[in-house]
Amino acid sequence: MRSPGSWGLTLSTAAPLLVVAAGTIVAAKAGLSNIGQEGQLLLGCAAAAFIGTRADVPAPLVITLSFLGAMVLSGLWAGLAALMKFTRKVPEVMSTLLLGFVAAQITTFGLTKKWLLLATKNTSRVNNGQQLPDRAKMPTFTLFGNQVSWGVIIALVVTVVISFVLGRTTIGFRLRMLGLNARTARRAGVSAAVVGGGALIASGAAAGLAGGLWMTGGSAGDRFTSNVSSNIGWQGLLVALLARDRASLAIPMAFVFAALRTGSSFLAATGVDRRITDVVQAMLVLALLVPPAIAAVQRRRRGTEGAS
Amino acid sequence: MTIALDGVAASAATPSVLLSGITKRYGSVVACDGVDLALHPGRIHGVLGENGAGKSTLMKILIGLIQPDEGSIAVNGDAVRIGDPVAASNLGIAMVHQHYSLVEPLTVWENVVLGERARLNREQACTRVAALSDRYGLGVDPLARVSDLTAGQRQRVEIIKCLRREPRIIVFDEPTSVLTPAESEHLFSVLRVVVVDEGRTVALVSHKLDEILHATDEITIMRGGRVVGRSRTSEATASGLAQAVVGRPVSLRSEAAALGLIETVAATISDDDASDAVPRAAAAEAAPVVLEVRNATVLDVDGHALLDDFSITVRAGEIVGLAGVEGNGQRALADMLSSLADLRSGEVLVDGAVVDLGRPGALRRAGIGIIPEDRHDSGCVLDLSVAENLVLTDLHAVSGRGLLDRRAIDRRAAELMLAFEIQARSSAAPMRSLSGGNQQRVVLARELSARPKVLIAAQPTRGLDVGAIEYMSARLRAAAESGVGILLISTELEEVLTLSHRICVIHAGRIVGEMTHHDADLERLGLLIGGVAA
Amino acid sequence: MIAFGGSILDVLSSNSTYSSTMRFAATLVFAATGEWIAERAGTMNISLEAMILTAAFTSALGSDLTGNVWVALLFGLAGGFLVSLIQGVMSHRFGANQFVVGLTLNVLAVGLTAFIAAEVNPVVKRAGTVRIPLLARIPLVGEALFAQAWILYFLYPLIPFAWWAVYRTRWGLDLRCAGENPQAADVSGIDVNKRRRQAVYACGLCAGLAGTYLTIGQVGSFGADGVSGRGFIALAAVIFGGWVLKGAVGGAVVFGFFLAFGSVFQALGYEANPQVLGALPYVMAIATMILFARRGRQPAALGRPFVRGLT
Repeated sequence: MRSPGSWGLTLSTAAPLLVVAAGTIVAAKAGLSNIGQEGQLLLGCAAAAFIGTRADVPAPLVITLSFLGAMVLSGLWAGLAALMKFTRKVPEVMSTLLLGFVAAQITTFGLTKKWLLLATKNTSRVNNGQQLPDRAKMPTFTLFGNQVSWGVIIALVVTVVISFVLGRTTIGFRLRMLGLNARTARRAGVSAAVVGGGALIASGAAAGLAGGLWMTGGSAGDRFTSNVSSNIGWQGLLVALLARDRASLAIPMAFVFAALRTGSSFLAATGVDRRITDVVQAMLVLALLVPPAIAAVQRRRRGTEGAS
Repeated sequence: MTIALDGVAASAATPSVLLSGITKRYGSVVACDGVDLALHPGRIHGVLGENGAGKSTLMKILIGLIQPDEGSIAVNGDAVRIGDPVAASNLGIAMVHQHYSLVEPLTVWENVVLGERARLNREQACTRVAALSDRYGLGVDPLARVSDLTAGQRQRVEIIKCLRREPRIIVFDEPTSVLTPAESEHLFSVLRVVVVDEGRTVALVSHKLDEILHATDEITIMRGGRVVGRSRTSEATASGLAQAVVGRPVSLRSEAAALGLIETVAATISDDDASDAVPRAAAAEAAPVVLEVRNATVLDVDGHALLDDFSITVRAGEIVGLAGVEGNGQRALADMLSSLADLRSGEVLVDGAVVDLGRPGALRRAGIGIIPEDRHDSGCVLDLSVAENLVLTDLHAVSGRGLLDRRAIDRRAAELMLAFEIQARSSAAPMRSLSGGNQQRVVLARELSARPKVLIAAQPTRGLDVGAIEYMSARLRAAAESGVGILLISTELEEVLTLSHRICVIHAGRIVGEMTHHDADLERLGLLIGGVAA
Repeated sequence: MIAFGGSILDVLSSNSTYSSTMRFAATLVFAATGEWIAERAGTMNISLEAMILTAAFTSALGSDLTGNVWVALLFGLAGGFLVSLIQGVMSHRFGANQFVVGLTLNVLAVGLTAFIAAEVNPVVKRAGTVRIPLLARIPLVGEALFAQAWILYFLYPLIPFAWWAVYRTRWGLDLRCAGENPQAADVSGIDVNKRRRQAVYACGLCAGLAGTYLTIGQVGSFGADGVSGRGFIALAAVIFGGWVLKGAVGGAVVFGFFLAFGSVFQALGYEANPQVLGALPYVMAIATMILFARRGRQPAALGRPFVRGLT
């Protein structure tokens, strides 16, 4: 086993958090609340593990294929929510959430079948996945004496690209228009189903990619298990919420959350439950929510009354 | 001011409401600037001023929705502080609101008892509603659902809701904007009963000179947040009031229209074909039809027809005015022509070709420009910049290979801001920070610069001050002269009369009458608008 | 196919099906009733899950500390209320986004209850089963409705009371206006955000009953993953019911049936894939929304914050 240095581990953990958050921001900018990242990420992990244990091709290709597979599967999963939203008006908040529970059952099912995810020689009492071969693991580089996963670079690139697309391209402009005023957008020729559906699928694909990064990055263990996602999806969502849908803020937030996470797994060794990470992170979000919310209310109040 | 009149204030012992030195600022904008106002029992007091003059702010202060920065309020001689609408209600002050104060899915009686403290008692409430309805001849069914009522009926519910609390002081905020001429007449007779027989105090807030002259006993005129004149109604003249409202002599007919001087407008229709303000109808006769709506039917979510077999044509260079009281399908028509509502049956032709309405933006591509009734709803994006709002329907012109060209956007914004005299800190300022008039100019600039074949202007001057109304009217006229067919959807009869070559009347989702500018007949128009076949 | 059809018939004709359905449905019905109140006032309460989970945990704690089911009930109510207090104040006093608050509370509740439960490992004393004479002997549904843990019986007064409170009282009228047209409510002199907070608190108390029932009525222990999305299914029940109380309750019972289906099916000796059974309630919740989400008319201001002066 590789054992990256402590903040090398933090950086490697920040990568999937950041990618989940960046995807969440895409959906949020289009006015849609994807809150099923945990399930989407789990499917991404499953797809990456499935391809990673089977594809008998050289290392870079294995990883590329597993990431692609993860993005496609999770993107389609989020696409189901989009389909229900734009054909049957099912609120995406509910559908993405409930689909997460279905995803968990699907991966558990996958762990009962050797042709899917179950290890060929499972020795544990619970069903575990096949061990990932080394060629399917994300390589690392050394930074100031720390082993850092290349996933960090991928995550930063993804975030920058998303930020660029949202801010500088026509499709990004249409997407933001849809999120800010759907009726004006429709009049201007923006199809909510195409652009909004695309945004949901993209956010699902991002969660899938995050699953691929998490699965192959080493800190999740070396095989797929039913609880491999261990709240990375939820925490990534919190990162996006805390960054108030700004990609530039999501980057430092992801690192803070990753630090809390790796810090607490250190604490876990001293007897403190790893669950305390969730608690600390959630408290942090709640504490940080109040002042900007109040400020926003005051600003809007002034703005509107002044204009009328 | 020449028409200031000290005698008014001195004539009664104690005013029921005395506002002194009321000042309210929003940042650098002063909405009310040291306003004094005295309301007396047994009289209807008109508060006159154009949009943005500060009347609404003043009344919201009286009703407790806004707190003044300076000044004092006395009710029946006692100094009071009105912290919220409940406090106002306890002091016997009530307001009949223009919008937003009825809950549609609820019944009439539920709406009437809203905000009271007593236990809910359906029978008692219904009896009371019926009694009030009888007393003032309002004809309101307490068990009806508000969503099923017309705008005029809803206002009568508002009045009952207000009168049920037996207020001593009643504020009416632009009450006739949703009424037919006949309904307005009826409303004023109710107001007479309320003040003369029952000795209550009424404040009538309006930007329409005609109704202020017609229905009130005394008048306070506001401009730019200040009181610029007071007068007894019996001593006021239309021209004097008009000058006080605008702050300069009023000459143009569209200004008269903006001030609600319908008689003036109507009187000049037949004899002024030569003057500058008159629409030239001649070109329209032979011009090609640019917009044709054929047998359009649009349903609401419950399956009621909003547009019912509706047909209309607009020729190139022609301004067609669609007159009618609010809530008769105008909104559905504008939505339908913006790809925001689905047609149940019928079709829309632009330049003779049928347009596929299902595709977002198809109508815009076909050549329809729209100034929507509610620009915040579907005309602009408040959280984007002015520049972005100016280009948002036509990104192709300011992008290459899918990338936005920031410089092209800024260039285009600068051109349009200059051409349409849009005042903003910069083109990067958020749309939200602009005044209503400037926001409307942004919408107008964007829609006209796309060189549409047809321009749909829905209530294009609502909420604008006289200067902005004048500007909008001139722009619309110029557009028509350059060959654009214009469909002017308006509830302001004066506006329709001033601008249109041809006038159609919409009632209950149908066209119920049509006339040219020349044989426009005020009386017949009024009847048609009220749904009476004439 | 014929065998499967036969097994469905067996399931539907078995007394235990109805009893199990009620046991599983009760949590959902309590929660859906509360959520219905909150949504009628304009709040989409994603933190319903957190409220149930917290109540399930605090009631276990109360039971562990005193061994008294009434104390457990009080603890449960307090737990649900506590979460609703945070949700209500954050979203309707500080104006924070209600979804963000709700999601965060869910993460918080999962972490905190699991963490403390692992430390104290509460021992739960179950609430006893009470058979109501005569009524319990009604064929098929008698056992299900009238021979259950006594906490379930709170449902019977709660549902009509909630209906009465929302439709027949001044408070309920104010509350519905806050959910439909907060501006109108405001100018009429109703404190919109206060009513909304109160509706969220009412939801918290209902969720408190839900969680308490789950722990001391149905399961008899607290498991960190014992709630597993029941709050979200209850949310779906409100949508399924088209924001009408009887629809929401009906939806909750239907979803309860699918939660119970697995155990009933296996108890009758049938084999079925456990993952299919596990996914069934969620799949059915999604399926019913596909069928019915278009139909309901949601409160016009659902999910929108109210600030005076904003339209």
